[in-house]
Amino acid sequence: MTSMLQTVSRKIRTNWQDPLVRRHVGLLFLGKTIGLVLVLVLITQWQRLLPAMLGAQAATPAATPAAAPAAAPALDPLAAINAINTVWVLVAAFLVFCMQVGFVLLEAGFARSRESVNILVEGIADTCICGVTFWLWGFAFMFEPGTPWIGTTGFALQGLAPTYGTTGVALLAFWVFQFAFADTCSTITSGAMIGRCGFVGDLLYSVGVTGFIYPIIGHWAWGPDGWLVTMTIPFRDFAGSTVVHTIGGAISLAGAIALGPRLGRIFKRDGGGPMPAHDLIIGAAGGLILWFGWYGFNPGSTLSALDTAGIGRVSFNTTLAACSAGLTSLFYSYVRTKKWDLALTTNGFLAGLVAITCPCYWVDPIGAFFIGIGGGLVVVWGIDALEYLRIDDPIGAVPVHMVGGIWGTLSLGLFAAGKYGASTPTGQDISTVVTGLFYGGGIGVLKAQFIGSATILLATFVSAMALMYAVKATGTLRVSAEGELEGLDVHEHGSSAYPEYMISGSESVILAVSAKEEAA
Amino acid sequence: MKLISCIIRPDRLASVKEALFRAGITGLTITRASGHGGERDTVTVRRGSKLLMQFHEKIKIEMACSEPFVAATVNAIITAARTGAVGDGKIFVQPLEQVIRIRTGERDNAALTPVTVAEVQKHSLEAQR
Repeated sequence: MTSMLQTVSRKIRTNWQDPLVRRHVGLLFLGKTIGLVLVLVLITQWQRLLPAMLGAQAATPAATPAAAPAAAPALDPLAAINAINTVWVLVAAFLVFCMQVGFVLLEAGFARSRESVNILVEGIADTCICGVTFWLWGFAFMFEPGTPWIGTTGFALQGLAPTYGTTGVALLAFWVFQFAFADTCSTITSGAMIGRCGFVGDLLYSVGVTGFIYPIIGHWAWGPDGWLVTMTIPFRDFAGSTVVHTIGGAISLAGAIALGPRLGRIFKRDGGGPMPAHDLIIGAAGGLILWFGWYGFNPGSTLSALDTAGIGRVSFNTTLAACSAGLTSLFYSYVRTKKWDLALTTNGFLAGLVAITCPCYWVDPIGAFFIGIGGGLVVVWGIDALEYLRIDDPIGAVPVHMVGGIWGTLSLGLFAAGKYGASTPTGQDISTVVTGLFYGGGIGVLKAQFIGSATILLATFVSAMALMYAVKATGTLRVSAEGELEGLDVHEHGSSAYPEYMISGSESVILAVSAKEEAA
Repeated sequence: MKLISCIIRPDRLASVKEALFRAGITGLTITRASGHGGERDTVTVRRGSKLLMQFHEKIKIEMACSEPFVAATVNAIITAARTGAVGDGKIFVQPLEQVIRIRTGERDNAALTPVTVAEVQKHSLEAQR
């Protein structure tokens, strides 16, 4: 026992003579002390600090318990409606969030194996950034009243009513639903930029996208007083062909232009072709998970479970458009290459889903069928156009989301059936129906759709170009040539997604040893 | 007859293959390989702790050539695989005792002469278009 103590004390004495050890131990003690003081302050003072941080909210919990016993025990019909609609919106929100899984799988599968970790980390980081910015100011910019151009109240969700507008959906449930939408837009963005975009650059432009471009431009179409909503024939975008997908796709296009193609990417007109996908199983599974998530994206946008005919019709139209689009691009690929192309078919049904997102509430099955066929065609033409313009989009985010979104938004002006109006918390409202050109409604709706689609596309593309070139000016947008050849996974994140694929003889390094070597 | 084997960077494979095809060498065998040369080991990070990867990913190409092709092969590899940084790889040229083509039983130089070199070159150029 004593000999052990002696050894330990001798060790401490010899180690203490090393300046490196002295510095580390000193720093450690300093950090621990600061942490301890902070914890003590929080324990003793939290009751005083919390109200100051949360503002008015701290007063509400005190008021509620007093009010609750006074409420009538009988079932309030409004409360029941609110409960059903809130649960419906939340279920849809969870499905939309599930699309994140689809996006990372689709992007990772269609990219090369050396950038898989980068795609996964980007997907997760984008989601986290989106949650925080959307809480602090994104939701206020997009969904709260203000000017026709931007919302100006409700920052950090302060001072808002318990339900959103007249929907009867609990405010925070509505927030979760809209957060999942914003997150979808932000993840679409990274699609055309994978393989060469630096991680710091990704974080910077993500804040710009989810904090400013998406909420501000989205306010025009979805805000309570957005200028596109208050036009005489309002611009209609049921679940976001324009607001989510065209915005995401246009930002993605700006990013791909600002970045330039990946090293070694030779375009078709220069005698090359797309780089091969590293795992089509993961890519196709991701596409199908996206399809599944779309059943929250479109039907959930009614914000009302009691519009039973509405949610049924929307789900049906979503399915049919995806099917006809998938078939269209499948056969189109066979006609062109004499091969049944998996990647093109996956992009095809996704474009059909993007296209039906805007008109899904107002069209009949026959309309949905043709909108899907249009989606399957425009995505192939979009891919060809990008290839011709020498823009490198590794997974087809621009053809699917931007081109498909434009087609879907315009298609409402052609195919709106003239039978459906709007969704209300208790059912549907057909006092004003939407009628498209092919159903005898004239070009009024088409014109409104064109104005909305064109202005949003233009505004997004211009602001996204400014954002991307601003990030590029900081030198963080694109990684170095060595880093790109080494692969973003190892270069940016220090680990490969498939470490056992190659013999690399990994071995744990004791940090103290390497620190000593560096000091020597 | 010589057996030429070379170790190159994975990202130079496409251009090396193209240079070899242009020089008329269409018969080659490629292996994914790991190895250690003059480069520093890569430090990777997994869940916060550092790992030292002791080997680098490389590509190994092997070709059997008749004497007139040896210089052309070596030149093609050098021009296509060189980046100037440590880790570009090496070329090994060894004498070859016997070559037998399995399909016909032809031996040595007869077995090495590619029967379809013009066809292969033409096909790969067409497919790229």
